[in-house]
Amino acid sequence: MSTVTATPNHQPSWLPSGSAPALRAAPGWFMELQDKAELDYQQLGLPGVRDEQWRYTSLRALKSAELTFATGPLNEAQLPDSDLPRLVFVNGCFNALQSDLAGLPEGLLCTNLANALEHHADRLEKVLGTTLPDAAHGFQLLNSAYCRDGYVLFVEQGTIIDTPIEVIFQNDAGVASHCRNLVVADANSQCTIIERHSSTQPENSHDVYLSNCLTEVVAGQGAHVDHYKLQSESTEAFHLGGIFIDQANSAHVTSHNIGLSGKLLRNDVIARLNGSGSHIEMNGLVLGSDQEHMDNHTEVVHAVPNCTSDEFYKTVLDDHSRSVFRGRIIVAQDAQQTNADQQNNNLLLSPDAEADTKPQLEIYADDVKCSHGATVGQLEQKSLFYLQSRGINLEAARALLTFAFANEVVERIKVDSIKQELTQLIAGELMNDIEGVL
Amino acid sequence: MLKVQDLHVSVFGTPILKGLSLEVNPGEVHAIMGPNGSGKSTLSNVIAGRDGYEVTSGSIEYIGKDLTELEADERACEGIFLAFQYPVEIPGVSNMAMLKAAVNSMRKYRGEDEMSAAEFLQLIKKKAELVQMKQEFLKRSVNEGFSGGEKKRNEILQMAMLEPTLALLDETDSGLDIDALKVVADGVNALRSPERSMVVVTHYQRLLDYIVPDHVHVLANGQIVKSGDKSLALELEERGYGWIEDEVSGLQEAS
Ligand SMILES: Nc1ncnc2c1ncn2[C@@H]1O[C@H](COP(=O)(O)OP(=O)(O)OP(=O)(O)O)[C@@H](O)[C@H]1O
Ligand SMILES: [Mg+2]
Repeated sequence: MSTVTATPNHQPSWLPSGSAPALRAAPGWFMELQDKAELDYQQLGLPGVRDEQWRYTSLRALKSAELTFATGPLNEAQLPDSDLPRLVFVNGCFNALQSDLAGLPEGLLCTNLANALEHHADRLEKVLGTTLPDAAHGFQLLNSAYCRDGYVLFVEQGTIIDTPIEVIFQNDAGVASHCRNLVVADANSQCTIIERHSSTQPENSHDVYLSNCLTEVVAGQGAHVDHYKLQSESTEAFHLGGIFIDQANSAHVTSHNIGLSGKLLRNDVIARLNGSGSHIEMNGLVLGSDQEHMDNHTEVVHAVPNCTSDEFYKTVLDDHSRSVFRGRIIVAQDAQQTNADQQNNNLLLSPDAEADTKPQLEIYADDVKCSHGATVGQLEQKSLFYLQSRGINLEAARALLTFAFANEVVERIKVDSIKQELTQLIAGELMNDIEGVL
Repeated sequence: MLKVQDLHVSVFGTPILKGLSLEVNPGEVHAIMGPNGSGKSTLSNVIAGRDGYEVTSGSIEYIGKDLTELEADERACEGIFLAFQYPVEIPGVSNMAMLKAAVNSMRKYRGEDEMSAAEFLQLIKKKAELVQMKQEFLKRSVNEGFSGGEKKRNEILQMAMLEPTLALLDETDSGLDIDALKVVADGVNALRSPERSMVVVTHYQRLLDYIVPDHVHVLANGQIVKSGDKSLALELEERGYGWIEDEVSGLQEAS
């Protein structure tokens, strides 16, 4: 007989000692929310390999990392070369000087969470935290307990924001930050958000930090929300992320979740289709190399009839990198006429890379169309030879074929600059001047 | 230009070429004919540098270089082009993208600057006209969903773009309708020059009416068993391969 001994819950160094420094002018309900999450966390602790959803994901390095709870920006963020309206967060705190919201139309509130808690608390109270999963895991609880800032976007009924809003999240070495973001798109409004996550020192790609960053999206009737999340974290950084989406009737949400670098990236992407006629598109691209580990746990809940979901995740792994994809689709008993599709394709560029893929379909209705497919493969020898026989060297041939694989997801991106950025990243110069020349 | 001597090649361990010799001089066109499975594609592939095609003995020399020392892409950069018997479909990579990568890769190999987008575009348009290929094919993924004939025509387009010194055409005529055969042959003939050599693998004499060879060889059972001029092709058309096989076994018995 073997006995299982529970190891005492090890507390990482990067939790705030005592209780977190209070936010200035935070309303009582918010303090209660944080206190409750802190208590829940103390009960639950961080996940471990015994938890089914963390089985393939080692947190050992993160748990023992020497990090401190972030209380303010130290370095400035390094801004990308774009002139989009933007909000900037360094070490989990708003950097007003680097933010610029000029050019946004009327009919919206775009600000940071700390400010919104001070001046728009009643609008927040109705929604903040409502999209989180009931059984939140330890990192999500930590985020609820210790978040101090993040972006907040309320788009009023019928307001259409043409230009994407860019949100920059950067962290210094040695920091643990917990941002909480909220997007509320009222009926028939439209918006596009681009989140960019990285280190404050992109030239030093070995900074160790934790970014535990959650985004809530509440899409009202007929609203259109396009959400992009680009993660180019330092190769020693930990990114624990969540995107939680609630959709009303005919709401149309697209999530593009793009993991480019990081020691450990894990995202939980959950969409609840609560209103008839709503549609979620979940696109994902993971490019892993070296020892990187990139996980995506997705969940689509078809709660009502006549909704559609279209999920398309692709993974490219080189060297010793690993990935986990879990795709859960739940079709509730009365969610008839559901149409759900899920595809996860994995390309292994190295014999030492490993991709785990796990579709989970739970269908309780009978009149539904559900399809899913998962593949793990390598580049085809005959294609490589064909390209080489045209004088293309092996490295370029691999890049071309890898681009071809990833491009099906890249093609779904509606913001041209991001499309170009990714094309350049994957194919280098190979695809320059190709498009639109004929 | 190309000197193959007593070449023995195994494909994934199976001996296929068993002492093949062939010499091609600059400007010459050689036709290789022979029964199915005799090793014609094996010869083309081993010259182009395909993995898994192992030279167990003998040599392949091209412009004075030992070819077996070079990777497939280096051979292409040195001027060898293989028009595949079965062109490969590459979903997601457009013809344009592949050819641009190919052209620039070869330029880099020769120490030249990349071709500008405008220059490339002009060139590919001109070459597409040469093989009468509609421009929409340039944007499509390489060979994906192309008909058999379109694939063969696409091989010739690529050859026209890359302007090889030694072109190996492996059954480029099979699957072509009569008009397409003329177009392809015209494309090939347009490239004929005193510096450029071609090895044309075919089953049909008809192609050789358009691309007139200097030499015709019969490859059987991994060896060149008979060589002659273009009249040999006519004879083969009439009599098949049986008589040569008889001749060869007669010779073997006599020796
Ligand atoms: N990968 C392989 N493994 C084992 N045998 C092979 C392999 N590739 C080719 N062969 C064999 O080698 C022989 C020669 O094949 P090859 O393709 O060179 O013939 P070919 O002369 O081009 O024929 P065809 O006229 O039908 O195109 C055939 O018997 C074939 O089955
Ligand atoms: Mg053949």
